[in-house]
Amino acid sequence: MENISFRTTVMPLSDKLFRLALRITMNRAEAEDVVQDTLLKVWEHRSEWEQIDNLEAFAIAICRNRALDIQKRAGRNTENLDEMAHFSSQTPHEQLVASEQISLVRRLMDALPEVQRTIMLLRDIEGKTYQEIAAMLGISETQVKVYLHRARTKIKDKLNNGL
Amino acid sequence: MDYKYIEQLLERYWECQTTLEEEAILRTFFRQEDVPASLLPYRQLFLEEDEMAGEHLSKDFQDKMLRMVGEEPAVQVCKARRVTFMRRCRPFYRAAGLIAILLTIGNAAHQSFTDDGQQASDNGQPSLVNSQWSMVNDSIASRPEQQSAELKTLSIDTLDAFPR
Repeated sequence: MENISFRTTVMPLSDKLFRLALRITMNRAEAEDVVQDTLLKVWEHRSEWEQIDNLEAFAIAICRNRALDIQKRAGRNTENLDEMAHFSSQTPHEQLVASEQISLVRRLMDALPEVQRTIMLLRDIEGKTYQEIAAMLGISETQVKVYLHRARTKIKDKLNNGL
Repeated sequence: MDYKYIEQLLERYWECQTTLEEEAILRTFFRQEDVPASLLPYRQLFLEEDEMAGEHLSKDFQDKMLRMVGEEPAVQVCKARRVTFMRRCRPFYRAAGLIAILLTIGNAAHQSFTDDGQQASDNGQPSLVNSQWSMVNDSIASRPEQQSAELKTLSIDTLDAFPR
């Protein structure tokens, strides 16, 4: 890697890191704190930048671990998708009111287990290849596909059943 | 309209068999308003992902981060433009050019005016200049006595001015 600088190489990753942290913490202020900690951590490792193969994967791994730490410390668990069943018991009016506050689809996505949610974000929103996602999360490409398949199938089933 | 291709792509999308390019095609398709009823339930998923992709940090946050690592935030740079001597004198050239044009037009108009007078005189036509001259001559001719008296006085005075 050549011409690596904090401004031109690391800072452009900040929005991606923010979206990842936001999908894990579900809180903008906490997500900003996570990004700040991540960027400072990457800065502390600046002497090793030349040796790091993929600085983006390195930053994303730090960001995810930091966000998960915050979640664990706060004693929060990932919402189970089955809990979304209560949406179908709502009246159409109640569903309309709820959708005005936050999209049901988004709530559906946010209710996925963290690893599925993160992989879906990296693939569908950040446009990463399976290989890149595998490197970022430290798992195999096959595992990435399995998790993503589970996530998409759940979303599809819920959408087919009218949430 | 046949949506078979989109339906096939969508099936492969759920099975994680689509490429990034094919997923981009699906995303583009679901951005349009005119989506058939059979595919409508999935539209919100792609739109929601589009919206999530637009979430970003504030500029203040980025400036704060740059300061924390000892780098100055990006400032709006106004590039100084080098102005050459020729470029700086351009207004004077323009003024000089304008004056030259005005003088040329004025001169041409005066020339044309003079030529018209001369031509009119040559043709025996009374022009403004000729009529003015004729008025002067008339006024002199109407005072012959006064004219001859003035001439006499002038000739005596002139003779007196020279020693005999």
